[in-house]
Amino acid sequence: MRKYPHLSYLFVLVLVCGSVALAATQWTLQPKESKLTFVGIQADAQFEGTFERFTADIKFDPKDLAGSHFDVKIDTASVNTRDSERDDAIKSDDLFAVKQFPSAHYVAERFTAKGGNKFTAVGRLTLRNVTREVPIEFTFDQKDKSAWLEGSAQLKRLDFGVGQGDWKETKDVGNDVKVSFVLLLK
Amino acid sequence: MHLRNTLTRYGAVAQLFHWAIVALVITQFVLAERAEGLSPVAKIGILATHKSVGITILGLALLRLTWRLFNPVPPLPAGAPRWQDRAAHVSHFLLYALLFITPVLGWLMSSARAFSVSWFGLVTLPDFIEPNKAAYETLHDAHEFMAKSLAVIAIVHAAAALKHHFFDRDNVLRRMLPVRDRTPQS
Repeated sequence: MRKYPHLSYLFVLVLVCGSVALAATQWTLQPKESKLTFVGIQADAQFEGTFERFTADIKFDPKDLAGSHFDVKIDTASVNTRDSERDDAIKSDDLFAVKQFPSAHYVAERFTAKGGNKFTAVGRLTLRNVTREVPIEFTFDQKDKSAWLEGSAQLKRLDFGVGQGDWKETKDVGNDVKVSFVLLLK
Repeated sequence: MHLRNTLTRYGAVAQLFHWAIVALVITQFVLAERAEGLSPVAKIGILATHKSVGITILGLALLRLTWRLFNPVPPLPAGAPRWQDRAAHVSHFLLYALLFITPVLGWLMSSARAFSVSWFGLVTLPDFIEPNKAAYETLHDAHEFMAKSLAVIAIVHAAAALKHHFFDRDNVLRRMLPVRDRTPQS
């Protein structure tokens, strides 16, 4: 080795380049084009809400699922269901309690390919300081340097304590909530 | 009792429509009154029933009017002053109109707050307008005004029927009831 001191550098360089090539692509979320929504049930009818503010740290490569990683932070106070009274109720202490728990956090690490552009991931959602496993199903469509990540998750609000007191009742405010996302990544 | 109207009496179908709608309209006032001052969750539940009953009234009013098209109503008793005949026709027309207008306004005002209307959890009605706070306020006031007008005209209508029954001693009230006429005609 002494004879060729540069060789070790070369070796390190190859190693670094190789691991960079192997590591899943780091994407940047395009907030304007991206949407994080949910559908709840109230008085037997569905209603849709949007989270206006969230960040998503997405590392994803269909060829390197092991190195892929989602980290999403949602500003709970940015909820918008197109009715200010309902929004205030959702932000109140019995539901999201946004003063105490200003953000929700989702981390996904275990990804599985389901054929074609379909994937599933198992992640952990933390909401109101309660962490539970939440699987998501999604599609990933890459075109040149941008990609659409589109999927959904089913969860039960009471699993996270979203519904204290009167709000534990599920006849008029359903327990099932479907969360959907459409993310543009570049 | 005949199913169809005769020349002197309302048939069983017309009577059923009439009294079912009476009972449901009274239910609506009770529910709307009770909803005031309830907790948000209880309010959602009671208003869900109010909306379902309202849509039922709208449906029954449509069926009733259709039935009426093929079933001429028995004429008003002969010999009444002309103004009374006119008052009866005008009030009947207004009652029908309000049975349509009031629930439709309620439906629209729900949509204006992004609360879709579900009919007893079986069907979710479409939203014909976009959520809009100002529109909601207007529609809410209009709904309430129409409901109050309906109550006033219905009370006058009932008072007139009672006047016929107790003062004129004719069959105007009896012909809308499953009882015999005072002076059997057949």
